[in-house]
Amino acid sequence: MRKVSKEKRREQRAGFLLVAPSLALILVIAIWPVIQSFYFSLHDYQLSDPTKSTIHHSYTFDLERYLNNEPFILSAIDQQQDVPNEALESLTGVKQQLVDLDQQLRDIPEIEANYETMNEMLMNFEVPSDEMKYITINREFGRTYETTIEEINEEMDLLTEHYELQQEDKLTGLTDALTESIIEPNFIGLSHYENQLTNIRMWQALWNTIVFTVISVGFELVIGLAIALLINKAFFGRGIVRASILIPWAIPTAVSALMWKYLYDGQNGIVAKYFSDIGLIERMSTLLTTDTGAMFAVIFSDVWKTTPYMALLLLAGLQTIPNGLYEAASIDGANKWRQFWHITLPLLKSSLLVALLFRTLDAFRVFDLIFVLTGGGPANSTETISVMAYKFMFSQTNFGEGSALAVIVFICVAIISAIYIKFLGSDLLTDDVKK
Amino acid sequence: MKVKHLWFLFISLFLVVLVACSNGEEDASTNEDSTGDTNTSLTTDENAEDTNDEVVTLVYARGADSTNATDKIVEEFNKLHPNIQVEFREMPADTGQQHDAYVTMFNAGSSEIDVMDLDVIWPAEFAQAGYVLELDRFIQQEGMDLNAYNQGALSASQYNGKQWALPKFIDTGLLFYRTDIISEDQVPTTWDELLTLAKDNQGAAGNEFGYLMQAKQYEGLVCNAVEFIASYGGSFLDENGEVVVNSPETIKGLQKLVEFATADFVPGNVTTFAEPESHTAFIEGQSAFIRNWPYQWNLANDENESSIVGNVGVAPLPAGDAGSAAALGGWQTAINKHSEHKQEAFEFLKFMTGPEGQKLSAIHGGLAPTLPELFEDEEILEANPFFAEEGFVEGLNAAVSRPVAPNYPEVSEIIQINVSKAIAGEMTVEEAVESMEKELTAVMQ
Repeated sequence: MRKVSKEKRREQRAGFLLVAPSLALILVIAIWPVIQSFYFSLHDYQLSDPTKSTIHHSYTFDLERYLNNEPFILSAIDQQQDVPNEALESLTGVKQQLVDLDQQLRDIPEIEANYETMNEMLMNFEVPSDEMKYITINREFGRTYETTIEEINEEMDLLTEHYELQQEDKLTGLTDALTESIIEPNFIGLSHYENQLTNIRMWQALWNTIVFTVISVGFELVIGLAIALLINKAFFGRGIVRASILIPWAIPTAVSALMWKYLYDGQNGIVAKYFSDIGLIERMSTLLTTDTGAMFAVIFSDVWKTTPYMALLLLAGLQTIPNGLYEAASIDGANKWRQFWHITLPLLKSSLLVALLFRTLDAFRVFDLIFVLTGGGPANSTETISVMAYKFMFSQTNFGEGSALAVIVFICVAIISAIYIKFLGSDLLTDDVKK
Repeated sequence: MKVKHLWFLFISLFLVVLVACSNGEEDASTNEDSTGDTNTSLTTDENAEDTNDEVVTLVYARGADSTNATDKIVEEFNKLHPNIQVEFREMPADTGQQHDAYVTMFNAGSSEIDVMDLDVIWPAEFAQAGYVLELDRFIQQEGMDLNAYNQGALSASQYNGKQWALPKFIDTGLLFYRTDIISEDQVPTTWDELLTLAKDNQGAAGNEFGYLMQAKQYEGLVCNAVEFIASYGGSFLDENGEVVVNSPETIKGLQKLVEFATADFVPGNVTTFAEPESHTAFIEGQSAFIRNWPYQWNLANDENESSIVGNVGVAPLPAGDAGSAAALGGWQTAINKHSEHKQEAFEFLKFMTGPEGQKLSAIHGGLAPTLPELFEDEEILEANPFFAEEGFVEGLNAAVSRPVAPNYPEVSEIIQINVSKAIAGEMTVEEAVESMEKELTAVMQ
């Protein structure tokens, strides 16, 4: 007994060793990007904002930015003439605050060490290195600095509200810019998720995605199955039909989207014209300018494009069903409809599952078709969650928020797969066991 | 069970290692960057010492230029400054692609480009991100008078109280009309007049439409919205970046926009119209009026493409309660903060945005100068009789800039979405304005 179990264990270990490389590979190529996205989504990470353009975990002081602003405020205050006494008083107060703050800064040894050199460099239009300009400071001082600048800004706002200052734009602008010298740690936990889950735009995009996915995959399934049954029959010219049916699938999505854009065009589009002639739509322009019209247009193009793929997957399943079953059934007197219902469908189940899973996940991530055809418009009625994530990440360079959306897409996809496998897959598995 | 535990341990260890690796990579790259920076500053030092006897080569970048104006400017400058030789580098013509190319380059702290042109909506973003050099010290040194510039164009290149670029040419929205349909004394001066005229003249001279505009959900819609809203005295952000969109003036302006975009005399699919769709319909003779940028003039008078040559008039955009307003477009010139030859770069920038450079680009490129005095220059007027049109000059003076914000793409997107929804009737104008107020406040913090 003991010997057997020992052997078995050794075998088990060897087995694990054999699969280890593939597991590692899966980790690297499938799970790693998700973890990376998740890590980014926990930070306020924006490329366009210098205080957020990398991930910081501690308070940092940007000396270069500070030296590019502070001296100019002092000279702007000095140049301010012809102001009432009260205004002059509060300006002097602001100046004193700035001078005190400057002294506090210079008490920090790392800052003092670079202060003069950097000032000189800036006068000569030289660019200081990152090591020189970024100085880690403690949290306490960071807070003091921030509150002082806030006070100064409020003072300035009050001043400009009550008095006419010649240097108004300069003063308010420069004091505003002082805030940017402090780089706060930008770890914000789950705030992005909180934002997105309370954002109507996100829910609308999610809803659009679900509508798009359910309707287009539904149509593709029915039409794809019909086509698969048809080309599974032996008839003259079957090869040509099979090949030609694949053409829409072979055209790159961006190209076919552009093609459909012209076909749907409100003035010259042929498809738009036929649809309005047969009364399907009110006017030619309805297709791309109303919310339901645009959603219909997008789904119609998607069904046109991916039905062949569905048909191909199902055809492969149909061809594994032995012909003998149908012969036996017809001898027993079952008509075509009963044969389809009791032989074809049950035996096609695994192919159906695979086809549906592939297409649903694909449709859920739809991007290129919609981006080219409608750009998410009109009025965001066709914006899906991937299009929205693209806009956040690349047009606004807001990587944190965009990553949060990407993770939300991933979670949705995981849920969909789980549901499919639970409802359709469990049956398959038990069937396998029985066999 | 035990095996499972082991696996869990293995996987978590693996993840930790991966995370550590990636952090290491990030650190390494920042270090590399910073050493690169030190090197550049060293070389700057050396160059600064012996600029006098050595020829400095500058690289100037801008989008592809279909005219020869850029070559002329570079040639002329090189002739005048034997010590500085400028090389022209062509960037993508599409402004979005150009933006992305610059962002990638400057994020890495590259110094390969010294001087470049910026679209009118970029300076705040580039300034905040630290890509461009502030020009105040130079302007002070040279004692330049900035009052000579068109103030709208000048303020578009200011951010946080500093000057980050100088305006090179200006573009604004204008109203073009068919002189064979609308006589000169009929030209509308208010939006309401335009509304009646467009309605009455739909169908005249084989027209299909009365008025054309850009109402697709994209940047052009923001321009159209800014024009309507400003002409009624409203705006999105004030000069301090505070959100002021929720005002009776803005609502009135936006209502007028919606009235136009949903009228029977504009194409039914006007919400898919950007510039190409609208100018094509106009030069095919399908409309009495169009709102477009100055280039429409040359295009409409191009015999190869247009069927309305010689029948085009130009006027400032109609006025609302607060007068006429046109969205400001155009380009500015700035210096890369990491440039190794800043002094020389400023020399070139000054030449190009000064009278000499602007004159060359007006004559050879047909671009409208930002120095108002140049509109009286004989040579320029000879090359571009269009500049003498009263409607054109008035249109330029009414230029209003789009909201100035370092996160402009985000701001623009909010405006695009909400205005689109108002046009589509999914929201009332009041609701759209409220929702803009909420969203803009959130992103402007």
